[in-house]
Amino acid sequence: MKKIFQVALGIIAAIGGFVDIGELVFNTQAGAVYRYQLLWAVPVGVIGIVVFAEMTGRVATVSGRPVFDVVRMRMGLNVGLVTLVASLLINLVTLAAEVGGAAIVLQLLFDVNVSTLILVAVVGLVLIVYFVPFGGIERIFGYLGCALLVYVAAAVHLRPDWHQVAQGLVPSWHSSALYAYFVVGVIGAALIPYEVYFYSSGAIEDRWTLRDLSLNRANSVLGFTLGGILSVALIVVAGEVFFAPKVQPGYLGTTALGAQHAYGEAGLLLALLGMLFAVGGAAVECAFSGAYTLAQFAGWEWGKYRRPREAPRFTLAWLIFFALAFVIVETGVDPVLLTEYAVILSVVALPLTYLPVLLVARDRTFMGERANGLLANTFGWLYFAILLVVSLAAIPLMLVTDGGAG
Amino acid sequence: MGGDRMDLVYRVLDDQLVDVDGRRCGRVDDLEFEGDLGEPPRVSAILSGSGVWHRRMPRRLRAIGARLFGSGVVGRDVIRVPWTQVEDISSVIQLKSKARELGLAQGDDRDATFVAKLPRS
Repeated sequence: MKKIFQVALGIIAAIGGFVDIGELVFNTQAGAVYRYQLLWAVPVGVIGIVVFAEMTGRVATVSGRPVFDVVRMRMGLNVGLVTLVASLLINLVTLAAEVGGAAIVLQLLFDVNVSTLILVAVVGLVLIVYFVPFGGIERIFGYLGCALLVYVAAAVHLRPDWHQVAQGLVPSWHSSALYAYFVVGVIGAALIPYEVYFYSSGAIEDRWTLRDLSLNRANSVLGFTLGGILSVALIVVAGEVFFAPKVQPGYLGTTALGAQHAYGEAGLLLALLGMLFAVGGAAVECAFSGAYTLAQFAGWEWGKYRRPREAPRFTLAWLIFFALAFVIVETGVDPVLLTEYAVILSVVALPLTYLPVLLVARDRTFMGERANGLLANTFGWLYFAILLVVSLAAIPLMLVTDGGAG
Repeated sequence: MGGDRMDLVYRVLDDQLVDVDGRRCGRVDDLEFEGDLGEPPRVSAILSGSGVWHRRMPRRLRAIGARLFGSGVVGRDVIRVPWTQVEDISSVIQLKSKARELGLAQGDDRDATFVAKLPRS
């Protein structure tokens, strides 16, 4: 019973933790511009993150190696260094986007100037991360992020044409660069890599053993799949509310208006609360991912389960990440723009971390009988091919469409 | 691969070093061999520290690598851990002594004095 309870809690936290500023921006825009026609890209991205996260969780549990340990070991020093630098930069841009997003949501709630709220957001996050233990952090943000389920209710409440929604889930193609750009964006938002770095290091933080492999499967498969329903709901709500009046949601607050349209003030408040904890949680995961990445590559002691003085460089690393993100956001750069860069650049770099994980997950020397079976190998290589295509297309599409501006 | 053979690049190079207390204390950044010509070389030590990174980089990047990550001064940016210190090779390289005794994890020790001043550290 206790086990079922633990699994359920993990899944709830995964649902709340799935959506971040990437989905809030890209999925809302996708729904506003193409109504339901991009829905199919959500399951493509979600199955990708399930495959990737399940492998990293299993590799971390069985061989004790989190993602950047594996990158360093399988890709060697040089490719490893390139991957490290790219990942750190992308992590930082993503962190800045999430922090900026949190500040915007706070501003919608409290109407204080945004510069002060950025400081409030960063200091608040740093204090929570510093004083709350690892499991507590996962739960605070995961559970409260579930307020975003208001979008699922709203998607049903707005009575969309379910026939058209179902049609949207069938892959379709338009010979338009803008459409392709949003396909890459929606897939990329689901596959944003810090989640995976965080997830695999979290398996070691939570001291998973072989007995937790079923927990790993439940968290990754069910948690992320149910999280994907939230992603679908964001598109459906945007398709219902913003498509017909041709609203271009270039501002994060617009996303919250979708829930208000369905449920008035209560809907708006739930949406803002959910967004605040979703982007707040994502910010924490980003800062940690940056520190994990650096520490694992260099071999430093790491982990929130250590006291700060036992893992000093790791502690300083995540503090510095927050400080840098603070400086970036205070320059006044638009968090929505940062999000687009973060998602697109992540997609470009993704194969570099995905490949070594796949290679180790199928290697019996390290994984024994827990190595990839036929199913995991098939999905593993299939997604590697998909990632390569998406990765190569991402930057040209961003340039051609001027970042989705048309 | 048989029990008495091991692919060092596959199983040892770039792996995590862990000291006798379970503390992570660097990576196997390079390996040192000894032996006369005509004799089989033997691994004599693990080299750990970013100071050896430039030697593993493409030739054109070595100079800038040395400036960025250190030029390989033993005791400063590279620590030499005798192979006799290796206790076990599993998912990590387990060492027989404490990191401090081997000169490893100096960066963590240095920053620990600062971090220890933070509350509840």
